Amino acid sequence: MAENKKVLVIGGGISGLTTAVEAAEAGLEAYIVEKNPYLGGRVAQINKYFWKLCPPNCGLEIQFKRIKNNPRVTMYTLAEVESISGEEGNFDVKLKLNPRYVNDKCVGCDACAQACPSYRSNDFNFGMNKTKAAYLPFEQAFPFKYVIDGATCPKDCMKPCLEACKYAAIDLDMKPETISLKVGAVVLATGWNPYDMNKLDILGAGKMQNVITNMMLERLASVDGPTQGKIVRPSDGKEVKNIAFVQCAGSRDENHLKYCSYICCLASLKHAMYMREQYPDSKVRIFYIDIRTPGLYENRFYWKIKDDPNVIFTKGKVAGITEDAATKDVTVEVEDIYGAGKIKVTFDMVVLATGMELTTKGSKVGTDISYTPDGLVDDAALKKGIYAVGTLKSPADVARSVQDATGAVIKCIQSVNRR
Amino acid sequence: MAEEKVEARATKTETAEKPETQVEVAKAPEPFAGIALTPDLQFVNAIIKGGGESLKKCYQCATCSVVCNLTPSDNPFPRKEMIYAQWGLKDKLFGNPDIWLCHQCSDCTAYCPRGAKPGEVLNAVRKMSIERYSVPGFLGKAVGNPGALGLLLAIPVVIFLIILGGLGHLNLESIRNEAGDIAYSSLIKSYYIDGVFVPIFFFAVISLAIGVSRYWKDLVQAAGVRPNGIGSAISSTVGEILAHKRFEKCNLTISRKLAHMLVLFSFIGLAITTAWAVLYLYGYEIMHAMGKTPYSWLLGPSPYPLTDPVKWLANISAIGLFIGIFMVMNNRKKNEEKAGKGGYYDWLLIYIIFAVMATGILSELFRLADLALLSYLIYFSHLVVVFFLFAYAPFSKMAHMVYRATAMVFAKATERDVEVK
Repeated sequence: MAENKKVLVIGGGISGLTTAVEAAEAGLEAYIVEKNPYLGGRVAQINKYFWKLCPPNCGLEIQFKRIKNNPRVTMYTLAEVESISGEEGNFDVKLKLNPRYVNDKCVGCDACAQACPSYRSNDFNFGMNKTKAAYLPFEQAFPFKYVIDGATCPKDCMKPCLEACKYAAIDLDMKPETISLKVGAVVLATGWNPYDMNKLDILGAGKMQNVITNMMLERLASVDGPTQGKIVRPSDGKEVKNIAFVQCAGSRDENHLKYCSYICCLASLKHAMYMREQYPDSKVRIFYIDIRTPGLYENRFYWKIKDDPNVIFTKGKVAGITEDAATKDVTVEVEDIYGAGKIKVTFDMVVLATGMELTTKGSKVGTDISYTPDGLVDDAALKKGIYAVGTLKSPADVARSVQDATGAVIKCIQSVNRR
Repeated sequence: MAEEKVEARATKTETAEKPETQVEVAKAPEPFAGIALTPDLQFVNAIIKGGGESLKKCYQCATCSVVCNLTPSDNPFPRKEMIYAQWGLKDKLFGNPDIWLCHQCSDCTAYCPRGAKPGEVLNAVRKMSIERYSVPGFLGKAVGNPGALGLLLAIPVVIFLIILGGLGHLNLESIRNEAGDIAYSSLIKSYYIDGVFVPIFFFAVISLAIGVSRYWKDLVQAAGVRPNGIGSAISSTVGEILAHKRFEKCNLTISRKLAHMLVLFSFIGLAITTAWAVLYLYGYEIMHAMGKTPYSWLLGPSPYPLTDPVKWLANISAIGLFIGIFMVMNNRKKNEEKAGKGGYYDWLLIYIIFAVMATGILSELFRLADLALLSYLIYFSHLVVVFFLFAYAPFSKMAHMVYRATAMVFAKATERDVEVK
């Protein structure tokens, strides 16, 4: 039994990393399974995160360092869980490891990328730019290793990479493999996706170039993003001086996500700050149903931003968006509930404050999940010894996710010791 | 204090510092600023009972007002009606043309993020508006109440039974006209029928007229402006109604246009048929009474041959009504999930029209098939449901045609209207 004091953590974002390192530091062995080629999840994509508004490396670095220093943490990137069987204290887990085509000898010299003839859409930047098919996911990626996208660059295409690499770090013979693990407890920390704006038919249905999601704006505002941190329009690269935020884009909506996604109001307030800092002559308008700034956030962000006369708050949910065919300016249609009636207002760019959709809705995690009436993971209904953390149970910020993840470790310790 | 700040800024940005990009900013009074409210909870419960169960789910996001293609931009509906309804502000709801400018496209209901179904709520409010304005009021309450249905049906049953009994025409099998055919005019002479329906007709017209004038008074009082150019407003309203312009602006329930058009035009066809038959009968009788030989085209008492134009119109209208009302039912079922299913009040009218049409067509078919007992029984039920349709028109959903038309006229005459092309 002692040999099975192991915990499987599915998801390498802030919640999963925290669960793994806390568990490892409490004496368990932790496996992190991450489907991306890097750890850090959504936090890694954020320009500055709540609530101290640090860049992501300031928080993630610490966790990465703890992982590096702790031999009891094993991580699998490009990995998926195929199945989980058995019971608490004694789970059999099958993992599928997808090939990276790059081994541990990689030093990150970029030679393979320079040699690579093919490009891929950069999902880290939500498709707003392209990278070579041999790429480093982002500048601070951990593990700091390149990866070759076998889908856009099949075997023959990879050959120049192999030739360019001086460190013998390219391995074209890597194949998908399946491995088995035995663990005593499982933690689901697969997190969230921004709600798919293609489903928001009255908000442009994802078809308008200058209507983007809040997460896309994070990438635009990030120095390592597609525009090196300049907030410009996707259609023509023009500086954005007049921007609108559409709150509850898919959240608090029975046709989409029933729950409040907790973070979007704060995100838009933060984005208003990005805008006002970058362009002092810019104007921001936030269309909302209710501005929700729980706890400390109210004083730290809401009142502060409200004092800025160039940030206008309009109560009323946007329910129509049109695009000017020539200028690609975007016009939103809304009822200004405090008095102006049904209005149409035109902006350079519109940001949909899309909410958090559970990743478990789209991909399997090897175990049965039941959902609450709101559509969140019903933690209590999970198999004994399997726990959900972070945004799967309730939309949350980083601080709450980390608290929750840390708390879940005690349950894992109980699970592995119960038998 | 916070609120004051918001509003102060909102005003400033909308007027003084209006950004150039704002293409259209309508100005409207702030609806709730500084009003002390006394919610009328009974009224709220009545809306909930009348089909607006979902009322309390509304969280005032205004998606509904934006997706509505029938609302004026200035002070739009139905978002404000939802809060009036939640707070039980019945005067605001009733003295407001907007509840009738709504044609229940249900685009609002389909897009409502809360399932609050503004279309259904406004429908329930409209029902209560009919109840409020119609006279006598007890009939208004009875028609909306499923428990009173039996009684309401019993009234025409008793009236027609008394007439039949009085005539001694209870042995249905044996009733034939001079030619030996089944003839409904032999069962009950048209004078008796008209003796019932003419007063019923005037009752309905007078009741509706009183109701509408009471409604108009409330509209004028609530709006605080005198309507202007009522004549042209009426003619443009009638044109719009006939062309079904507003139905065209619905997205989810666009299929209602054809259904409603069929029903409306079939009714018009049947009204012409009735007038035509009146001419045939009374024209004939009058000439006869005056000692002249009636013109040969004045056919006298029914039945009329299938080759006669009056029968063409009658049968075409009956088939149109059959198809139309069937489409109405079908559309409602098809859109039930997104638009809501409607309540007793809606379905009562639909079923009564369905019954009028079904009994009318079957009366004709059984008569032609020479099935006397069946024919007369069906004809009897036809009389009952036609009575129901007309006598209770001021209190049933049938009244929508006058109240909605009134609201449309008022809206046009007070320049509170949406552009329809």
